[in-house]
Amino acid sequence: MKRATLAALGLATSFAMPAAAEDIKVGLLLPFSGVYAALGNEIEAGFNLALEQFGDETDATFEIIREDTEVKPPVALGKAKKLILQDDVDVIAGIVSSGVLGAVRDMVHGAGVPLIVANAGNDEATGADCSPFITRMSFSNSQVNRPMGTWMHEQGIGKVYTLAPDYAAGHQMIDAFTASFTAAGGEVVGQEFTPFQKTQDFGPYLAQAKASGADAVYVFYAGGEAISFVKQYDSFGLKAELPLYGSGFLTSPLYVNAEGPAAEGVITALHYVPTIDSTANAVFADAFTAANGRVPSEFAVQGYDAARALIEATKTGASDRASLANALRNVKFEGPRGTLSIDPATNNVIQPIYVYETVAGEDTLTQKVLAQLPAEADPVNGCEMAPVSN
Amino acid sequence: MFRHNALRYAVLALLAAGALFQALTAEYFGLEILTEILILAMLVLALDIVAGFGGMVSLCHGALMGVGAYTYAILSTKAGIAPPVAMAGSIALTGVAAWVIGAICSRSHGIYFIMATLAFGQMAYSYVFEAPIFGGDDGLGGISRLDLSFIGVDLNDSRSFALFCLALLAAIYVASVLILRSGLGRSLSGVMHNEQRMRALGLTVWRVKADVFGLSGMIAGLAGALAAQHILYISPGLLSWTVSGEALVVVILGGLGTLVGPLVGAAAFVVLKHELSAVTTYWHLVVGVILIAVVMSRANGVFGWFESRWGDRIERRMADATRKQQSEEVLTDA
Amino acid sequence: MAHDLGFWTLQALNALQLSMLLFLLSIGLTVIFGLMHFVNLAHGSLYALGAYFAASLAAVGGYWMGFFLAPVAVAGVGVLLYSGLIKRMRKSGPMAQVLVTFGLIFAMLDLTRIFWGDLALGIEVPALLDGRLAFLGVEYPTYRLFIIALGLAIFAALAFVLARTQIGAMIRAGVDNDAMAACLGINVERLFFMVFCFGCALAGLAGAVAAPLLSVTPDMGLQILIPTLIVIVIGGLGSLKGAVSGSLIYGFVQTFGAVLAPQLASVLIYALLAAVLVIKPVGLFPAKG
Repeated sequence: MKRATLAALGLATSFAMPAAAEDIKVGLLLPFSGVYAALGNEIEAGFNLALEQFGDETDATFEIIREDTEVKPPVALGKAKKLILQDDVDVIAGIVSSGVLGAVRDMVHGAGVPLIVANAGNDEATGADCSPFITRMSFSNSQVNRPMGTWMHEQGIGKVYTLAPDYAAGHQMIDAFTASFTAAGGEVVGQEFTPFQKTQDFGPYLAQAKASGADAVYVFYAGGEAISFVKQYDSFGLKAELPLYGSGFLTSPLYVNAEGPAAEGVITALHYVPTIDSTANAVFADAFTAANGRVPSEFAVQGYDAARALIEATKTGASDRASLANALRNVKFEGPRGTLSIDPATNNVIQPIYVYETVAGEDTLTQKVLAQLPAEADPVNGCEMAPVSN
Repeated sequence: MFRHNALRYAVLALLAAGALFQALTAEYFGLEILTEILILAMLVLALDIVAGFGGMVSLCHGALMGVGAYTYAILSTKAGIAPPVAMAGSIALTGVAAWVIGAICSRSHGIYFIMATLAFGQMAYSYVFEAPIFGGDDGLGGISRLDLSFIGVDLNDSRSFALFCLALLAAIYVASVLILRSGLGRSLSGVMHNEQRMRALGLTVWRVKADVFGLSGMIAGLAGALAAQHILYISPGLLSWTVSGEALVVVILGGLGTLVGPLVGAAAFVVLKHELSAVTTYWHLVVGVILIAVVMSRANGVFGWFESRWGDRIERRMADATRKQQSEEVLTDA
Repeated sequence: MAHDLGFWTLQALNALQLSMLLFLLSIGLTVIFGLMHFVNLAHGSLYALGAYFAASLAAVGGYWMGFFLAPVAVAGVGVLLYSGLIKRMRKSGPMAQVLVTFGLIFAMLDLTRIFWGDLALGIEVPALLDGRLAFLGVEYPTYRLFIIALGLAIFAALAFVLARTQIGAMIRAGVDNDAMAACLGINVERLFFMVFCFGCALAGLAGAVAAPLLSVTPDMGLQILIPTLIVIVIGGLGSLKGAVSGSLIYGFVQTFGAVLAPQLASVLIYALLAAVLVIKPVGLFPAKG
């Protein structure tokens, strides 16, 4: 009813004001409780910051409806249904876990509601299960890890032992690394997948890594597991003889301070680090730090760029589900991560990858960028999608 | 043994009318909540049968429901079996699993029984969480609902599905009452009150416990198959021990061993959860405090409290002629 | 992969370290049960609380302040819990106790989130225990050796107190028959209270000790609860011997399971538990026959 009135008002005044203000309903679907609550809050903080900074660039206004997924796919699907069928949202943003993305994928695709993915990295979402309505502004699991295989071999590392939690994302991250590392001529001498979210003591696996005869260890861990892993790795004294590399979530700014000095010298790769030297990043990082009292993490920038993409899309005049979906696939802008664009073949973001070392700063740990690896699009991976229609 | 009294009939009628009204008039989200209540109601009925009438406080009923859901999903999506057969299969398999658990745990009592069922539940959870065929942490999708188009019902419509669940819940309720009134149900309450004596009377106690646990498991399995069809997506979280704990909470909040009470509890719990989670992400805190308060109050849940307080009075007013007989019934129920 | 002796020594130490951490947690839970027949599912939440207290205190006054004061603070919470809830729940059945403490888990999980936030915290290993020691021919982190030593010391102290002192005799009498003990002039109520608070303090200590090793997150209490319950059910409720043997069984099965049969590691321990319950429904070393 309210929307109908607004639309009528818009129609009535459209003669006087050519660019009538559109009210866009945005469903923000994030975990605000459960194991990923910290990530949900971080993404939301970034999202709101972008609305604040760039909201004036568009005539559209945004009404945010936030829903808690509790990191449970069935709950998230129920909430997505509510957003689409009852709240009648124009666009959904958010989604932290790949399980949740897998659960809501058919729903948003079937209903034709554009979804801006602000974290979940499962390769299928922009591969075999891609959809013209799903645009990913975060990363794909293989995108973050693939460049590292080649880079590490270039640094003269020949043999690697890998470790990751035993779930879909863990396998995808490690598989992408293994593929490029072995293609470059390296050898993976051992590989172990640890029980996901149930491993607290990594000692048994570290002893195996030590005995494997590898030159280095490459891992993917995130959140609480990353903290435990990095600290235990250091406590066994492995860092000196067996350097630790990994996917950048391992030493994310969100929890690197809980890892403390144990994280020093760990070299990882990620699509964002708060120390990227650019104006866009300075604007973002300063505002975020001022508002939240901590440096932004990759999760914050994902929320920030998700909102930014939405704003860019509305600037083209898009205001309903179909036109927003099309416009989102065409966005391109200069953000804190560098130049971002959307791969027309998969709807995944194309972005540079940063190799960084965690080093001691003045009073906290900071990130020293070692290399910026060029942006490249993921392979299509079985994605078949109608081209953008205008 | 389980008996209805006037109060129970009245509350049942009220619940049925409310659910029917909701099913016929509610908007989309109202129907979702109703269906969630109906499925939870099935699970807590299953739990009340074993816990309230057999003293078997199970912390694996959530896992049993999960087994039902996963069996249905695997059979109907990966094995390509027709949904009705898959549903029957999931009920049967969950029943067998529950029977085995019941048989193994039949020697344990009190806290050991709780811990033993917890162990079996967690075993199922770990297995589902780790085996690749079940989709791991990410879960399974692509599930379809039963096809009832041959009688002109489209279950993909939320309203039809809610009514379908309501009809099944009614059937389960009647079945539960019949089970409890049968020889098996009478033996069960005998076992709960004095296991030694029942054994001395020549009863094979473990068989009684296992049989009832198996039947209860079949109901939980049905609830699971319906839960999979409701959400159309399942994840291992369904089997986690906290789901079993929540089901137990609902049974207690409603009123253990009253069958009607847990139904009230299921409705109250789901509505409370949705209302609170809309207001705060700390809704677990509120639920926890309410739970502590209810258990500390020593009443047998909301319905039990109501029944002990008002049951007699309503009884007297409504059935003057048979007053004596009725009040005896209330006594035997208590 | 062939492994040398050093590898297996290292793994045995890992298993022992995990066992000792679980021992610190399970001993409190099991003695409370043995004496009071009270099932405290919120024991894991007390452990999490201990870790959070330790993290906050360590930020103010360094690791050792957290190490010594966190158990005291958790014992303080124990006093509140005992006088507010537990005392009144003593005579209720196991189900009511399970439910009240289940409610406590919910409440305490959200309270830690409200006070400390969702972000994971961490504590540094103190300088004294940093680094590694050569031990049995392998280099092993000093802090982990410290956990092993602490667990063994507490085990020895408890064994001594229970077997040789008057208070130990009173506790044993209470476990055997609390009504009879009360008749003999033992203030059973006060004994229960003391044991409960001491159990809470040990849970807090376990949290403070685990904090530098793991990460401090709101759900750490839930994560540790199931392993702790498995330990005390395998070992048998109420006995020191049960707690220590259950912890060792869990630690070794978990560690060597992870090395030898990684695919089965987590199902293995549940299968073992089920097997124990089938053969000995009350666990290996129950307090009472």
